[in-house]
Amino acid sequence: MAAAIKTTKLTKSYKSRTAGRINVVDQLDLHVEEGEIFGFLGPNGAGKTTTIKMLLGIIYPTNGEGYVLGKEIGDMEVHKQIAYLPERPYYYEHMTGPEILKFYGSLFGISDKAKFDALLERVNLHRDTTKTISQYSKGMQQRIGLAQSLINDPRLLFLDEPTGGLDPIAHREIRDLILSFRDEGRTVFISSHELSEVELICDRVAIINRGVIERQGKLTELLKGGRIEITVDGVSEQFLRDMKISDANVRSLPNGFLLDVPEENDPNSVIDAVRNSKGSIISVVPRRKRLEDLFVETVTSKPRVTADGGAQ
Amino acid sequence: MKPILSIASTTIGEAIRRKVLLIILLIGVLFLFVAPGLGVLSARSETTVLRGMMLGIIQLTSAVIAIVLTVYMIPNEIERRTIYTILSKPVTRWQFLVGKYLGAIGALGMMMALMSSIMILVFWRLQSADVSQLADLAKAPVMYFIQMCLLASVAIFFSTFVSPLVNFFLAGGMYLLGSLFSPFFQTLSENPNTAQVAKIFALVVNTILPNFSNYNVQNPIINPNQTIQNEGAYYLQVTIYGLFYIGILLVGGILIFDRREV
Repeated sequence: MAAAIKTTKLTKSYKSRTAGRINVVDQLDLHVEEGEIFGFLGPNGAGKTTTIKMLLGIIYPTNGEGYVLGKEIGDMEVHKQIAYLPERPYYYEHMTGPEILKFYGSLFGISDKAKFDALLERVNLHRDTTKTISQYSKGMQQRIGLAQSLINDPRLLFLDEPTGGLDPIAHREIRDLILSFRDEGRTVFISSHELSEVELICDRVAIINRGVIERQGKLTELLKGGRIEITVDGVSEQFLRDMKISDANVRSLPNGFLLDVPEENDPNSVIDAVRNSKGSIISVVPRRKRLEDLFVETVTSKPRVTADGGAQ
Repeated sequence: MKPILSIASTTIGEAIRRKVLLIILLIGVLFLFVAPGLGVLSARSETTVLRGMMLGIIQLTSAVIAIVLTVYMIPNEIERRTIYTILSKPVTRWQFLVGKYLGAIGALGMMMALMSSIMILVFWRLQSADVSQLADLAKAPVMYFIQMCLLASVAIFFSTFVSPLVNFFLAGGMYLLGSLFSPFFQTLSENPNTAQVAKIFALVVNTILPNFSNYNVQNPIINPNQTIQNEGAYYLQVTIYGLFYIGILLVGGILIFDRREV
């Protein structure tokens, strides 16, 4: 599949008075395929927005190279085929929804009123055409943002925290819209903290921490390594010793023992072994590895290294 | 061209709704209405005083509006992140900057047109001025408009790399220097008795600093005994001078803004 985004050693550094030169984004190798929803995750200050701004050509990389839709970043031809929804977007408050679309449409030379009406209907703002942006709720502002981002029928959408600060209903509306973008064959690049949301909709993710990509890949592969909790009773001491040897955690419970078994170990063989040792199975609970676990595991405690080689 | 005009018209729409600008405009308009009542207090000819006062009000109000309007223009767009949604579209930075500038002078022009119309109305109704007198009176606001376009370009230039507060003092300072001291620096640089160092300094300052005093054409309008020789040629010359400076400042601003991290 063709790459919608490809970067090689993309770096952005700034001079800091106290810490010398800091690589906000450090040798980023990113690969996003066309037609997928890609989650770009990281804690605050990890370099997510800086990366997006570089990919959009709003700020300039210090080193490395990047290609968006096959063209070098900053190419105006690419801008005709992409869209960007910033975090907590602001639109000119005196304008109404249709006026916002008219304005952003004019930047592409688009003045198709039927298209604007269809977009307003798609984001469920067609009944609020006389309200100005100052009268919009947060969710409505986010939806008009998505509508403006669809004006040019983009192949690639950059969404920075698209569900940040929204209530659960607005969350769901935005999520459904994003999923519909993939159904239409668009590529969606989402930067977000909402890990449960990302887990629900993304095909692949990358986790960036202090400017460096720590993990990148398919969610299904990254989230491998869950565990299965089997509560048993009446098993022998020997059985428990065998279990510990085979990479299972064994904990004593008031009503028996909890066997915490890695997902890759065949749980059926454990169940069979319990039965063979005349024990009984009380419960079997699969504990799937969550994106949150992976995220926390990835981003915790790594010292920041400056471009000069010093540590902070 | 379409993106520039769209950005310009949106900028006008926003500017004419900015409360701080409307308050400054309102104060200016109030003074214009009050001015005829104050003219009688002067010992000089009432018409002379009224002309000077009204033109002064228009010039001062316009200068304050021009500075307040333009110093926040680019920083506000960055702070509110509207610039990102615009620059992620097929809009180049120069188009954005020129669009913002044209929007600023468009809004400024509308506000100045309102004040000038009130002035003309007052002279027509209260002073029974005839058409030629009114046309003569209208020359000053037209020249002031070019002056304000020049001032706006100074502020837009600085707004590409300094904070609004610093810009306020820089642009305001340049306006005052260019209005009050340009003739002084010009005289200094041309005076054969001036020391060479002072002469060079005066020449440099006089060349770099836009000569805002070129557009202070109120004296012949206020006092009929003063005249501008070859008036048409003078107006044309200072208009070209203004456009030249505006062009230089915009190109400079574009070059800086193009490299700026936003």
